[in-house]
Amino acid sequence: MQPMPTTAQAPSRVAVAIVEDDAGFLDALRQAVRTADDLRLSGVAATRADGLALLDGPPADVLLVDLGLPDGSGIDIIRAAAQRWPECAIMVSSSFGDETHVMRSIEAGAAGYLLKDSAPVRIVDEIRSLAAGGSPISPIIARQILLRFRDRGTDLTPPPMAETGPAGTEAPEETPSLLSPREKEVLSLITKGFTTVEVARMLDLSHFTVRTFVRRIYSKLEVTSKAEAIYEARTLGLLNG
Amino acid sequence: MTFRPASLLAAAVLLFSAMSLLIAGVHDMVGEPGKAVHLTRAEILLADGGTPSRPPTTLDGGSPTGAWQAIGLPYAEPMVPVDRTVPAMAPGYPANTWIRLSAPDLTAGPGPMALYGARIDTDGPYAIYVNGRLVDWQQRQGRPWNGLFTPLWVVLDQDANGGPPTDILIRLDHAPTTPVALSTLWLGPEPALNLRHRVRQLLQRELPMALNSAFLAVGVFALVVWFRRRHDTGYLLFFGLAAISFAAHLHFYLDVPITSDWFAWLTINALFWLIVILHLFLRMLHGRPLTLLTGAVVGVTSILTFLTLPMVGVLPVLPSTPVIVPRIYAVALVMAATVSVVGVACAWRRFPEARLLAAALAICTVLGQTDWMMHNHVLSPEGWFLGAYTNAVTFAMCGTVLYRRYIAAIAEVERVNASLAERLRAREAELEVSHQRLREAERRRTISEERQRLMQDMHDGVGASLISAIRSVEKGAVDDTKVSQILKGCLDDLKLAIDSMEPVDADLLLLLASLRYRLEPRLEGSGITLVWNVQDLPTLEWLDPSSALHILRILQEGIANILHHAQASRIRLDTIPDTQGDAPGVRVTIEDDGRGFDAEATVASPSGRGLRNQQRRAQALGGMVAWNSSPSGTRFSLWLPLNRDMPVAAG
Repeated sequence: MQPMPTTAQAPSRVAVAIVEDDAGFLDALRQAVRTADDLRLSGVAATRADGLALLDGPPADVLLVDLGLPDGSGIDIIRAAAQRWPECAIMVSSSFGDETHVMRSIEAGAAGYLLKDSAPVRIVDEIRSLAAGGSPISPIIARQILLRFRDRGTDLTPPPMAETGPAGTEAPEETPSLLSPREKEVLSLITKGFTTVEVARMLDLSHFTVRTFVRRIYSKLEVTSKAEAIYEARTLGLLNG
Repeated sequence: MTFRPASLLAAAVLLFSAMSLLIAGVHDMVGEPGKAVHLTRAEILLADGGTPSRPPTTLDGGSPTGAWQAIGLPYAEPMVPVDRTVPAMAPGYPANTWIRLSAPDLTAGPGPMALYGARIDTDGPYAIYVNGRLVDWQQRQGRPWNGLFTPLWVVLDQDANGGPPTDILIRLDHAPTTPVALSTLWLGPEPALNLRHRVRQLLQRELPMALNSAFLAVGVFALVVWFRRRHDTGYLLFFGLAAISFAAHLHFYLDVPITSDWFAWLTINALFWLIVILHLFLRMLHGRPLTLLTGAVVGVTSILTFLTLPMVGVLPVLPSTPVIVPRIYAVALVMAATVSVVGVACAWRRFPEARLLAAALAICTVLGQTDWMMHNHVLSPEGWFLGAYTNAVTFAMCGTVLYRRYIAAIAEVERVNASLAERLRAREAELEVSHQRLREAERRRTISEERQRLMQDMHDGVGASLISAIRSVEKGAVDDTKVSQILKGCLDDLKLAIDSMEPVDADLLLLLASLRYRLEPRLEGSGITLVWNVQDLPTLEWLDPSSALHILRILQEGIANILHHAQASRIRLDTIPDTQGDAPGVRVTIEDDGRGFDAEATVASPSGRGLRNQQRRAQALGGMVAWNSSPSGTRFSLWLPLNRDMPVAAG
């Protein structure tokens, strides 16, 4: 899987920043990044405070965040990074990839997740895919997203053929809270146990396109959850206007 | 808000008093000017027959001659005992009684003069001569039913000579034994006497009639109510009371000749029906059956009603009225008294308005008594037939009772509503508390079950694997790769345990998808191709976390067996709805192209612990597992029921 043309020059390499308090996993990550020619480590933090401070520096392409930090939740870093490094793809690292953690992270602005016990090769693949605009998904997450959007109907505008670049940011935003029929189809197949490769074959798409669909779905979920949060805040009188 | 029990009755009494005062005032007013003359002295002459039945228009020869006797007015002859009246009523009116009055002091005014008297009582016609000229001839067919209640009222033409009416002669025709009576007379200008006449008409006839009609109207209303509420016989009885009262009092107002058979029958019997209805009404109020009395009252009334029928004629009311009526009325009196006394006695303790009832019945009795006394000339003919007002009293009594019941019913409804709301609130609070308790208990039970489940799983799965890994490391018998593999297996176990707790919405396919998602990395590493050949399945409503873990472990074991032992290159997983016997269910099959094994022997052998675990877990779900193995591959299948009634055994 080589979606991006890789070069040996340092500036074109994908900059990876890491916020992780688990020294063992941090080492594994460092090792994995170092072995890949197209990746470089641009910053490391082990606490929530350091992680937030890291955002003052130059933006990375991929930010890996652990949720359970000694001085607070990684969610805060995800939320802050989504604002201050809008071009950066955020990835949450998780032991189990369980629904609660992953959904919360996506709603905060994460574009993917990484299982901590993944093999080094797989870690590198996930980082590359994320940097290229794709996102991973699991059946449980797919079902949860379908449930979130179930009562909202369907966005009937055809999905843009965004084969390259971060798809979510370029997607038409008129009806950000709706899923297109295609997106629904993808999610539905995922919940039945088909892999992204199989789904791509069934829908006559490239494997990577399916992953960009997932990224766009995550963006919609983030926008929706923000809108809902604002609505709820208004209802509670926390915001004026 | 206090309630005055007899307010209606009190109002009626007040009205009556006001009327009496008014009449007294009228007396004074018309008496004072002196223009009208009150005639209280007269002369009387009794003549048996010999006069033409049609009175001549003038009395040329002056007054009839004979033994005139001076009398005072009002004048009433004593009643003759009925037994001696033979024949009861002879054809024609062979006897005449003449009464002569003179008013020498009267001066003629410009307007018409009038003659007024409260009552003139004879069973035949009467003729009135003024100054020797016939001015009025009434009751030519005999006295009508309302004759006794109609005052004498003659407006006199101006005398031909222009003189005042000074001599008045009244001829009363009657049966020889019928006693006659005459009230005092008034002679004077018509306007001066008219008011007196009108008031008499109003109080003796029109007001009772109006009250009677009003009672009937309310009765009809009650009847309409009864149509909608057939079980409430009180309304029907009330209508009966009103209707029969109306019928029984018709003779006070109707100008029907007494010779009308049916009207006589109706008038006589209505009194009995009234007593029956009154009895039933009282019975309803106090609630005692009084079977014997009811039977007697109804029986007597029915017999009399039948016997007095004009067509049956056993006890014809006519023409022997004077013989029959007093006896029949005697029966009525006994019946009414019995019914009243028993009714009040029964009601006294049970029924709050008993005093009111007693008072009303007493008043009715007194009023009825005056009628009897008027009829029998015990009271002066100047007096009032008050029996017509018994209706008003009955009406007032029943109205008061019903009014009180109505008010009480409304109050009761309000009270019931209030208490209902109160009870509802209390019940809601109670429910909320018990619901909370239930939820708490449910929560505790769930926690306890989950704890048990996790403990069991840790014990069988991760725990056992970790212990085996530690032992292997301690023995030094395995290399680092092997230890890493064992630990990875532990982590997989843990991941499946976590997946089993994820919300899968009873969707077995989603659970299988999760399993695949977890096993994919290991399959990728093994070089085995997995063919995912699933189709949609009906939801398994019983699929809770505990059951989900059983299914995950069964399939995990199945795939692990293939990975470790089968040396397969290809695995295929199918799902299909499948009915086992007559139980609908779903089937998951896993096929490999490996070398196969002897399932039966393995299950029985010590190394078959994994297969036995699969069997045990499937049984716990009410499902079953099967192996179909040949040298060219193995087909493992798990069947699960669609509906599961039995609770899952722990473990």
